[in-house]
Amino acid sequence: MPQEYYILIVGYIFGFYMAWNIGANDVANSMASSVGAKAITIRQAVFLAGILNIIGAVFIGSHVTNTIRKGIVSTEVLTDPHLALIGALSALLAAALWVSFATWKSLPVSTTHSIVGSMIGFGIMAGGFSVINWGKLAAVVISWVISPVFSIVISFFMFKIIVKLILSKEDTFAHALKLSPFFIGATFFVVILSFLFKTPLGKKLVVGPYVSLLVAVILSVSFGLVGRKALGWFIKKREGGAEAIFKRIQVGTACYVALAQGANDVANAIGPLAVIYFLVKTGSVGGSVPVPIFLLLFGGIGIACGIGMAGHRVMETMGKKITTLSNTRGFCVEFSAATTVLVASKMGLPVSTTHAAVGGVLGVGLARGIEAVNFSIVFKIMLYWVLTVPAAAVTSMILFKILQFLL
Amino acid sequence: MRVPFFKMFMTSPFEGLQEHAEKVMECALAFQQAMECYFEDKCKTFEEFRQEVTQIESQADVIKRRIRGHIPKETMMPISNFLVFRYLREQDGVLDAVEDTLDWISYRSTKKVPPELKKDFALLVDSVIDPIEMLSTMVAEAREYFKTYSEDQRVKVKDIIRKLRQQEHEADKFEDIIKKKVFNMEADAVTVFHLVRLAEIIGSIADHAQNAGDMMRAMLSK
Repeated sequence: MPQEYYILIVGYIFGFYMAWNIGANDVANSMASSVGAKAITIRQAVFLAGILNIIGAVFIGSHVTNTIRKGIVSTEVLTDPHLALIGALSALLAAALWVSFATWKSLPVSTTHSIVGSMIGFGIMAGGFSVINWGKLAAVVISWVISPVFSIVISFFMFKIIVKLILSKEDTFAHALKLSPFFIGATFFVVILSFLFKTPLGKKLVVGPYVSLLVAVILSVSFGLVGRKALGWFIKKREGGAEAIFKRIQVGTACYVALAQGANDVANAIGPLAVIYFLVKTGSVGGSVPVPIFLLLFGGIGIACGIGMAGHRVMETMGKKITTLSNTRGFCVEFSAATTVLVASKMGLPVSTTHAAVGGVLGVGLARGIEAVNFSIVFKIMLYWVLTVPAAAVTSMILFKILQFLL
Repeated sequence: MRVPFFKMFMTSPFEGLQEHAEKVMECALAFQQAMECYFEDKCKTFEEFRQEVTQIESQADVIKRRIRGHIPKETMMPISNFLVFRYLREQDGVLDAVEDTLDWISYRSTKKVPPELKKDFALLVDSVIDPIEMLSTMVAEAREYFKTYSEDQRVKVKDIIRKLRQQEHEADKFEDIIKKKVFNMEADAVTVFHLVRLAEIIGSIADHAQNAGDMMRAMLSK
């Protein structure tokens, strides 16, 4: 067996390690609000997050993979297959190590930023500073700022709407039930659209943008109405008020986040792995190669394994810690985070689920929805925006040198 | 495992405010019993009740310090942390005034209130007991308001604040009556001073409760 195949195997291992890390590190962001608000149990959360991450990764997640791989670093670095192999390996390992370190030290870093940083490190080592596409990098940096802001805005207004139309009314239960199709429908609308746009599934169906928009509208309206019927049927006791309704809706939004997370984050593990895969299989890697489904599945399973192994402990902590979040608040957090991530990932922007989730909480906080939120994490996140990329880049450069020496 | 996401969620200072308010309510009973005992001729348990109040006060002090020490500058709350601190100060003022009252009595515990003033003092004490007890209800209702932002709930809290104001007015009236009577009494200067000051301290309990209400009103402002 040629040496390349060994490298491919190592690549799979590193890719799996990265995916595992993503699962272990980010599961809190997707399921925290639901578990904290007691909408689902820890066991359910682990199960749902695992399954939906895989589904999100496989069916929605191919577009971002391309962007990270070919956008920030020019394809020039891929012309020498040997260097490219070493580079992709070191980028993968560097990002995974940095995320592991961050999870251990409880630093608010993003898996997405880590992989971007380590790709840059690889690019610099392989082709010097000239191969870095600075314009693209700037766009990426801007998207980091935009994603939390976008998430803050969505959750802020969502909570204001809920207060205005439901919570401040006398019979909150009736109002929540009446308006539930809107909340359910909005969730389905974004999910359906992201299934239809720029995914292998969407391509197979060959529907135009207007048709998909129409399909999404029709489906989400009907899902919303069906949802209301189901809610009315399931919840007989009115004492819980609006919170009882949102408790059920939150099960849906928790799934929504897990789905978005899988779609967005799988690329972080699979992007470099795809490079290795194509180099080994075909000897070269072109400008844009579609990522095979089974690699996405592999990444999704890796994330699910991470969730499965670390999820329980993480969620036990958060069940105790996040007691101040009621179901209406949790819904706003999750809805805004998932919408931000899905929309951004459809636009090809590498955003961080961590930041989107943090943005969601801050949005509700700004809308005076939470008794106390520690805002200081925002400053920390900003600090780690600046730190993560160079840290991952330097690690990647060192690993590149070591691997170059070994191989 | 430590996750940065959790760091955003912190213990709410409202929880502390509520706990503190409950301590205030707890001491209302001891205060009432101590005062009743003081008005009686054969009082043996006054010192016990006074000790109890002192104890509750020091427990409340711990809570107060905990609240003050655990609101970092970057904390985001539905209301400004400045208001939380001001509110806490007034709520704590109620407790301090209760303790001061009993301390003041203890300096001259052998001398009783003259029989002709007993009824007025009893009325004054009664008028400040309600405000002491109302604070914890007010905090609980206010927390409920910050959960739902419903207008009904806001009105409920505002009603409590209005009652606090009325009670303070009542207490003021009784305080005035007592002072007027004391100054027109045939008594030595020391007794006059002790009684006037006593009425003032008891009256100040209602003042602090009203101030706490005013701070709460500021928190409710949209």
